[in-house]
Amino acid sequence: MAFILGTLFFVVVVGVIDARLPWPRPRQPGQRR
Amino acid sequence: MVKARVREAPLWALMLASVWLDVVFVPLYLTGIETIARAPGTQGIYAAAIIHANYTHSLGGAALLAAIFGWVGAMAWGRRTGLVLGLVVLSHWVLDVVVHRADLPLLPGNAGHFALLGFGLWRWPMAAAMVELALVIVGGWLYWRAARAVSLAAQRSERFATLTGALVLIGGVAVLAFDVTGVLG
Repeated sequence: MAFILGTLFFVVVVGVIDARLPWPRPRQPGQRR
Repeated sequence: MVKARVREAPLWALMLASVWLDVVFVPLYLTGIETIARAPGTQGIYAAAIIHANYTHSLGGAALLAAIFGWVGAMAWGRRTGLVLGLVVLSHWVLDVVVHRADLPLLPGNAGHFALLGFGLWRWPMAAAMVELALVIVGGWLYWRAARAVSLAAQRSERFATLTGALVLIGGVAVLAFDVTGVLG
């Protein structure tokens, strides 16, 4: 149960909040540097 | 820790990668293909298992699952991020070798019956928990430092970065506490 709740917390809750930070965007496949 | 260095990799994908072997383990466990047994002389839940996960947690199986995860990541976010995600998946197996009792096979299904791997840090549950706690604290601090840096570089308040860093730290400590105490089973 701790594994499931922990996974959901980090992947969904923290992941969504983290995505609002101004991290550099991943380079898309085929995109040149 | 990885997010602090590879900042373009989505945190949710890194987090999912770190537990991918266990995610795939769940359906195999529920169908009885992979099993968990109690290690002799242990009490409680934390660090008390011998895990017969001969497919998901064999080196060959982990490498295959890492390759699949990394390939999907590369399709979505490019080769560099895909490679990093694959390595994060594989790091789960490497860290498991440190803590597991000798129950990790080299090849899927323990083909060839090579010696099972595992240095067995779980035989000293308090030491294992302290190592996990140290990783959570260092990882949370590195994440917060990187999140704060990108926020300031973008001329944004650092408060949101601090909030997210606090969630990472509190979440990590809480999951470890639940594991050690067995509160949630």
